[in-house]
Amino acid sequence: MPRSPGTRLKPAKYIPVATAAALLVGSSTLFFVFTCPWLTRAVSPAVPVYNGIIFLFVLANFSMATFMDPGVFPRADEDEDKEDDFRAPLYKNVDVRGIQVRMKWCATCHFYRPPRCSHCSVCDNCVEDFDHHCPWVNNCIGRRNYRYFFLFLLSLSAHMVGVVAFGLVYVLNHAEGLGAAHTTITMAVMCVAGLFFIPVIGLTGFHVVLVTRGRTTNEQVTGKFRGGVNPFTRGCCGNVEHVLCSPLAPRYVVEPPQLPLAMSLKPPFLRPELLERAAPLKVKLSDNGLKAGLGRSKSKGSLDRLDEKPLDLGPPLPPKIDAGTFGSDLQTPRPGSAESALSVQRTSPPTPAMYKFRPAFSTGPKSPFCGPGEQVPGPDSLTLGDDSIHSLDFVSEPNLDLPDYGPGGLHAAYPPSPPLSASDAFSGALRSLSLKAAGRRGGDHVALQPLRSEGGPPTPHRSIFAPHALPNRNGSLSYDSLLNPGSPGGHACPAHPSVGVASYRSPYLHPGAAGDPPRPPPRSFSPVLGPRPREPSPVRYDNLSRTIMASIQERKDREERERLLRSQADSLFGDSGVYDAPSSYSLQQASVLSEGPRGPVLRYGSRDDLVAGPGFGGARNPALQTSLSSLSSSVSRAPRTSSSSLQADQANNNAVATRPGSGSHRSPGRQGLPSPPGTPCSPSFSGPKAVAFIHTDLPEPPPSLAMQRGRIGTCSRGWGRRGPPRVPPGLHLCHLGRPEDRPPLRAPWSPAAGAPPRGAMCRLHLAASSLFPSLSGP
Amino acid sequence: MFTLHELRRSASLATKVFIQRDYSDGTICQFQTKFPPELDSRIERQLFEETVKTLNGFYAEAEKIGGSSYLEGCLACATAYFIFLCMETHYEKVLKKISRYIQEQNEKIFAPRGLLLTDPVERGMRVVSFWAVLCEGTGLTTSGVPGEAARKWGLP
Repeated sequence: MPRSPGTRLKPAKYIPVATAAALLVGSSTLFFVFTCPWLTRAVSPAVPVYNGIIFLFVLANFSMATFMDPGVFPRADEDEDKEDDFRAPLYKNVDVRGIQVRMKWCATCHFYRPPRCSHCSVCDNCVEDFDHHCPWVNNCIGRRNYRYFFLFLLSLSAHMVGVVAFGLVYVLNHAEGLGAAHTTITMAVMCVAGLFFIPVIGLTGFHVVLVTRGRTTNEQVTGKFRGGVNPFTRGCCGNVEHVLCSPLAPRYVVEPPQLPLAMSLKPPFLRPELLERAAPLKVKLSDNGLKAGLGRSKSKGSLDRLDEKPLDLGPPLPPKIDAGTFGSDLQTPRPGSAESALSVQRTSPPTPAMYKFRPAFSTGPKSPFCGPGEQVPGPDSLTLGDDSIHSLDFVSEPNLDLPDYGPGGLHAAYPPSPPLSASDAFSGALRSLSLKAAGRRGGDHVALQPLRSEGGPPTPHRSIFAPHALPNRNGSLSYDSLLNPGSPGGHACPAHPSVGVASYRSPYLHPGAAGDPPRPPPRSFSPVLGPRPREPSPVRYDNLSRTIMASIQERKDREERERLLRSQADSLFGDSGVYDAPSSYSLQQASVLSEGPRGPVLRYGSRDDLVAGPGFGGARNPALQTSLSSLSSSVSRAPRTSSSSLQADQANNNAVATRPGSGSHRSPGRQGLPSPPGTPCSPSFSGPKAVAFIHTDLPEPPPSLAMQRGRIGTCSRGWGRRGPPRVPPGLHLCHLGRPEDRPPLRAPWSPAAGAPPRGAMCRLHLAASSLFPSLSGP
Repeated sequence: MFTLHELRRSASLATKVFIQRDYSDGTICQFQTKFPPELDSRIERQLFEETVKTLNGFYAEAEKIGGSSYLEGCLACATAYFIFLCMETHYEKVLKKISRYIQEQNEKIFAPRGLLLTDPVERGMRVVSFWAVLCEGTGLTTSGVPGEAARKWGLP
């Protein structure tokens, strides 16, 4: 009786099988002991031989039906599931001998059930050629053991017939002394046999019919082929032959001990020396894993060294600032976090880098820091409880670096998560979880929103929070990498070139480390110790103080702005990919899109804008909203937990598919620029473009909105004009289109420099300075 | 010398192409011979089809109801199925043949192209997967024996 992992022993389910076994063995033994001797003498010695053989046959088939694997399909690996994402329908049709057969997605086993396969809720397995779950043998009856079950029924029927018949002969010949022990016992045995005679014979007859018709009990009971043609039938004789004479199918489920133990499993921790030379291994661009694979090739050599050396404690972690103020469940640090990673390694299968986000696959966990790449954090952290949700805040930032990969890459990176609620698409759920975590922490919801709703274009900072870019890929997260994520490539904001890491580092880093060159904290390589309780990592996104987060956000904003400046040099409307980036996601993740338009708005807005964001994006953009709602509905259907019909699925797919196209029509300013769905665009552009897009849909001119915010400068880029933007003087022109409209580059703004004059400040800076007066100076 | 962990990690970086089962003839085990576009640049179409067809042939042989299967069934009945403890079933024999074939194909044909064919039995015969390795020469082949590497790779 193959049992799926995680099921507890339930004594109650063994009662029927124990009863059946007891009755069978007990009654037959009594029959052989009390009835057969007289029958041997009076009738023939062949009687007990015949009965004996039949009884052995019954026992053998009973045992095979009970203990044989019915044809359990092993759970699908995560990598296999990547092809089926949120958009995938609940059912797939296949053509079997000209007849359409529906294959249903199994949310537990993560594959489309082959024809005739069904998921047994008792055994919690998908079984090939599922017949039924028989409580009398406490096992599923499927492809491999149906023959033995059928033969068991046949032989049991024959045995019962024999027992009753020979018992009757005995009783009739001992009618004068019915009180005698032997006679009484024989009569009792006959009663038991007679009691089960009708059900067993009935069941046997039923299965004889099924076998001749080539159907399973499941198909018969659910009426699959009622009035129709059974595509699986081979004709009466062929069906009987198939049941009785086909070769025994192999077992698919391989027990874990059978996996080669000769190979040593090493935990995915990096050695400290690797981290020391890990400058090139710092925060990698988050991506969908494919690029990580490519990009990591150079670091692979260093990672390979991991397994050669013993683990040991590394240099101390960066300071855990204000850890107490966040995450109440945060505990000490690094060994715990690494330990959690270790225990993840132990408890869950290694998660490929590409599929970090696979939720509900591994039971483990929860540390946001992973070792070299694939192990753990992202997906595991999703399946966690509240205490680990904090870790989601930054591990779960998806990378929207679409341009380099097609939708397939996206699917790889963000495989669907059927266990998530229908309304949350994958990264949307991550975001919502992170937002919830923020809320749970007591309400910095609004304040943290800008930090979280990175739904728009990714920035170098984004890579911090993407799991792939997670701490160097080596599991370390330094403040330096947080502040300067773009890293090796150097995404330093050109407008503020002199704002070096050092200027941000000093207040936040450990005093001892202030002057050091960026050295990623070796969080990931905690010692591989014995079973220690997993503890959340000390330095996590939610863990950082607000000032740090503010500075990070500010820096991100600044860099984003700089990128805008650069991008505008190309063309005002050059890149029509506003909805390209979000669209390819949104098809999978509704809430991404729902946050998408809002995200960039939030990003570029002041705090007021943040508050008004949802309203802004929603109420003012009915067209957007309709598409959003259609997307949400389609995506809510998509995770295959619903049982919507295929037609509904197709309709939704159509709706989804047409969405990007319709998006481009909505904007008057963009009519000349259809945005080809799925066209990869630089994510750095999609933010401003998303902003532009939204703005063009506004019924009223945006400057009025801006005016509500007290003369905050607005981005004139997206006001739907192709000509040179006419910008009222006094507005900060850093977002404006033409180079000549831009203000001359000034000295980079640093906290020490104080706030720039308000009139000339862009909305971004204004927001930053208003939000974080401590940073902006007096 | 590389560890299982490393193999899995490295293998996990590969693009995986899955070839689904072909149910057009019922539940007999056969795989679709449709050429997946992802392998377009990696392998010749004809080579791919030949491989899949050979696999299909093996599985057809394994599931064939004929003399050997009758004999096996009768023997099993006669011995109250104790024969299964001693003897390998016909299907299992063919499966061994299949895995030898797959290993051979991996060594000779697929590994030089940066591909790895996995044994479908690992996934319940639902799919055959090709793993297209992205980064070659990253230490995976340090064993020096492609066959051994392929065999080690043939892990789910």
